[in-house]
Amino acid sequence: MSNKNKSTLKKAFILVICTLLSILSLFPFVVMIVNSTRSTTQIQQHAVSLVPSSFFFNNLKILVGKSFNPAVGFGNSLTISICATALTVYFSTMTAYGLVIYDWKFRDAFFSMIMMIMMIPGQIVMIGFYQMVYKLHMTNHLLMLILPAIAAPSTVFFMRQYMKPALSPEIVQAARIDGAGEVYTFNRIVVPMMKPAIATQAIFSFVTSWNNLFTPLVLLTDQKKYTLPIMVSLLKGDIYKTEYGCVYLGLTLTALPLIVVYLVLSKYIIAGVALGGVKG
Amino acid sequence: MSKKKRSGGYAKWGYIFCLPFFITFLIFSLYPTLYTMLVGFTDLHGIGKTAIHLLKDDPFANYKATLTSPTFQKALGNTLKIWICNFIPQLGLALLLTAWFTDRRFKIQGEGIFKVLFYMPNIITAATVAILFNALFGYPMGPVNDLMTRFGFFKEPYNFLVKKAVAQNIVIFIQTWMWYGYTMIILVSGVLGINPEIFEAAEVDGANAWQTFWLVTIPNIKTILLFTLVTSLIGGLNMFDIPWLFLYGGPDNATLTTSVFIYKQAFSGGYLYNKASAASMVMFVIIVIISAYLFFMMRDKDEAALKKIRKQQEKEMRRKMKEAKA
Amino acid sequence: MKKKVLALILSSAMAVSMLAGCGSEAAAPAPAAEEPAAETAEEPAAEEPAAEATTEEAAPAEGGGSGTINLWAFTDEVPGMVDKYIEAHPDFPYKVNTTIIATTDGAYQPALDQALIAGGAEQPDLYCAEAAFILKYSKGDMAEYAMPYKDLGIDVDAEIKNSDIAGYSVDIGTNNNGDVDALGYQATGGTFIYRRSIAKDVFGTDDPAEISKQIGGGSGSWDKFWEAAATLAGKGVAIVSGDGDIWHAVENSSDKGWLDESGALQIDPKREAFLDISKDLTDKGWSNQTQDWQDAWFADMKGEGDKPVFGFFGPAWLINYTLAPNCGGEKAGEGTYGDWACCDSPIGFFWGGTWLLANKNMDADKVPAVKDLIYWITLDSSEDGLQYKWANGTLNGEGGTKDSVASGAVMSKSDGSLDFLGGENMFDYFVPANAYANGKNLTQYDESINQIWRDQVRAYAAGEKSRDDAIKDFKQTVADNLGIEAK
Repeated sequence: MSNKNKSTLKKAFILVICTLLSILSLFPFVVMIVNSTRSTTQIQQHAVSLVPSSFFFNNLKILVGKSFNPAVGFGNSLTISICATALTVYFSTMTAYGLVIYDWKFRDAFFSMIMMIMMIPGQIVMIGFYQMVYKLHMTNHLLMLILPAIAAPSTVFFMRQYMKPALSPEIVQAARIDGAGEVYTFNRIVVPMMKPAIATQAIFSFVTSWNNLFTPLVLLTDQKKYTLPIMVSLLKGDIYKTEYGCVYLGLTLTALPLIVVYLVLSKYIIAGVALGGVKG
Repeated sequence: MSKKKRSGGYAKWGYIFCLPFFITFLIFSLYPTLYTMLVGFTDLHGIGKTAIHLLKDDPFANYKATLTSPTFQKALGNTLKIWICNFIPQLGLALLLTAWFTDRRFKIQGEGIFKVLFYMPNIITAATVAILFNALFGYPMGPVNDLMTRFGFFKEPYNFLVKKAVAQNIVIFIQTWMWYGYTMIILVSGVLGINPEIFEAAEVDGANAWQTFWLVTIPNIKTILLFTLVTSLIGGLNMFDIPWLFLYGGPDNATLTTSVFIYKQAFSGGYLYNKASAASMVMFVIIVIISAYLFFMMRDKDEAALKKIRKQQEKEMRRKMKEAKA
Repeated sequence: MKKKVLALILSSAMAVSMLAGCGSEAAAPAPAAEEPAAETAEEPAAEEPAAEATTEEAAPAEGGGSGTINLWAFTDEVPGMVDKYIEAHPDFPYKVNTTIIATTDGAYQPALDQALIAGGAEQPDLYCAEAAFILKYSKGDMAEYAMPYKDLGIDVDAEIKNSDIAGYSVDIGTNNNGDVDALGYQATGGTFIYRRSIAKDVFGTDDPAEISKQIGGGSGSWDKFWEAAATLAGKGVAIVSGDGDIWHAVENSSDKGWLDESGALQIDPKREAFLDISKDLTDKGWSNQTQDWQDAWFADMKGEGDKPVFGFFGPAWLINYTLAPNCGGEKAGEGTYGDWACCDSPIGFFWGGTWLLANKNMDADKVPAVKDLIYWITLDSSEDGLQYKWANGTLNGEGGTKDSVASGAVMSKSDGSLDFLGGENMFDYFVPANAYANGKNLTQYDESINQIWRDQVRAYAAGEKSRDDAIKDFKQTVADNLGIEAK
């Protein structure tokens, strides 16, 4: 009996802690969203309120008036993220396939190299990268933010770890006997088999690319090419300093789509994160 | 058809499938890395300059300047401090939640929702988070000050962002807040991946929850812990978005990380590509050394021992064969 | 064998499709990739000719006659003027594409630099620079991008004489060959702008001439000002909001700039003394310790800070651009509206100002249009010119905010009375103040160096480090971030 009591007590304690943490997760975003509908004067009187007001469109008017156009950033971020994600997962799966199924001389060396470069963060070599892109006159091309996604060492690593137990060489062998070519086998048999892992890595890759600030910040100067994180960074400038509602609205416009998509897909995303971790 | 020939016939496909990765890596990673290294030995600075001239008098001048710069040292210290101070509570909290969420004796209601909420901050653009927190801690009428004065914790608004220690701690808090959910989910899935029989055996042996967690769960998720540690470390040593957009590394360099330092040198007015390259390479070396060390420390000891034995055996065999030949 | 060939074709086809964009066949896990992929793939192709065209400096503007002019600015002030110009000139042949990046945290300069260097169809055609960094664009590292006004087709010397443009504005905007390549529309000599109600409470009068005497206006010394600060402190009033208010008076009244002739860092004694001023303000409670451009600073304009604040140092634009929108009201009686007046500053100074530059590499076709805009804003002293409207607050209709402008010809026929200042004619004080404006102590690095200096001064004033350490750390950070060493 006392054991059961103790257990109930513990459960209650856990629930309290988890609820507090949930509030902590939500609070900043609730403040942000509610304040995006309130006027600057209202925010100045009380910066925290749970009751939305009616100044959303007013704030929007001010925001757009200051040449802040979140739709542009949204479109660019979407273009970059989708393309980069597609490249990352496709070519990472391909590379992993090359590593798992075929036996070639430099395979182990190549895998070790991938492990090594996994540790090298891209930011560190930004100066060399910038100089290269600048010399090619490609600084304002979104392609420069997309193409590097072909070589994503950590995704290759995950795919390889996932593929090793999941894909038996017999399947490939059987396909060969049936007369399938190597590329056909890969595209039509292996890729569909890897779907769960691909979905996982696609989510990660998408979020990473979507949230990337450093590279676009260095490369992009044309306002029409700005990504959403760059647009957000502009909100710190003094032209918005006194327009609190407007700043919160800008933040909301950049974060809300992400929050909505996340909440809708949360089941898969959480599962994906979990899968990614285990395979690592 | 001999076996060798057949595998040789297919071996080229291994190269072909890995080629796109390799070419991209060469162009977008290796070349920039080598170029950055090279720039570290030149006098390349100034707006729009690309011509490089190797330093003749003292090739290591930029590296020396970086290593002896008090600002760089401060930035490095900050980076490590912010990472350590966020990683420990982050991992602690994640482990605690993992223990709760994977306890086989009871199920937490709403576990799924909690997971979703805890992970949410991680998915939001760091740039948005940084500016949002900057607004939250605004003075004198930011939301935090509003709450604190309304509920009587503070008599008057507190100017958080001009105090060095406070600003640094807020950055630490943001990092923890953003990442503990991620770590927790990975750990939970790791625990769920452990063979249930092991837990059953522990239960049969009469281990309590505490013992099971420390003696069964933790050792079984060692690789995942290592993975978490290494990825977090690499991310931590490159921390840029939050410190940059939160306070641009201020006040008085309290939130200056090495990435912010490098960005300030190269891309925000000074155009000191040479010095920033040297600083980049120093960070590069530090990251490689630390990661290599961590892998070495946490490597599977049994496997390593086995490898050693195998190597010894091979040596032995070669020796014997040599002897035989002789 | 057949299979092999097929595979090869397939793989090469795939490789091509991959290189072209990033959509792939059924293999790609994200089918949605197809659409944006096409876009991205076309981008480089679409832009290549434009990029080449600009380097050759001869091709027609994109999209024929109705191309766009790219305007870069750090506030919405100039974009607002350009909008008005186009409104009044419906036949203006270009669309204006505006990029506004705020300059508070130093973000504008690097972005502008890179946009100018990158060139191409998106390069800035017309761009603005502020006093803190104009030298870089008019005669410093970036001067090669500025087109001299005479090349725009403006008879610049005659026009300057004709409109009687403030000399310092011309000096600053003259390149090393002696050609004018940048001009502003404001004259930014500064005054002390104070609260009338507080003046009455503490000094018994709100008459600008009297208050001027109380704070030692025009005396060239801070002594009387500190006496007044002590008097005000006795009544629980801070004389200024934060040290930033004093800084601009100190900065632009000092004899030397941040760099000496050899390009090494130097600290003018007046600027060094700012350390002690800032410390005094904090220790003696003479300010609310706010930072300029932060929330608390704005709150003080509304009279809602910790302590009431007596006044702010600033040029006319501070009234127009900052005080009025933040006073908490739009007519007398609301907020602090109407409760302000300006008088002489103890030490003459100027602060800020916007200069306009044209890109040398712009499309030849755009030159006349850019010329029209620049002429209208910087040199036209007629009643249709911008400066007349700007000075009299009629740009956006009657009753707008007024500002002190660069053209003496315009100033002489303008009226600076403001309801915001309780009916005072601010030009009475701003015209003499403009005489203090000079470009002699400016350097092209001012924005960055000021930021570093202010950060260190703040740390010293807050008691976080010693005076020597603050100076040492200042020199170190300048060396780290800008590569400028102290002697």
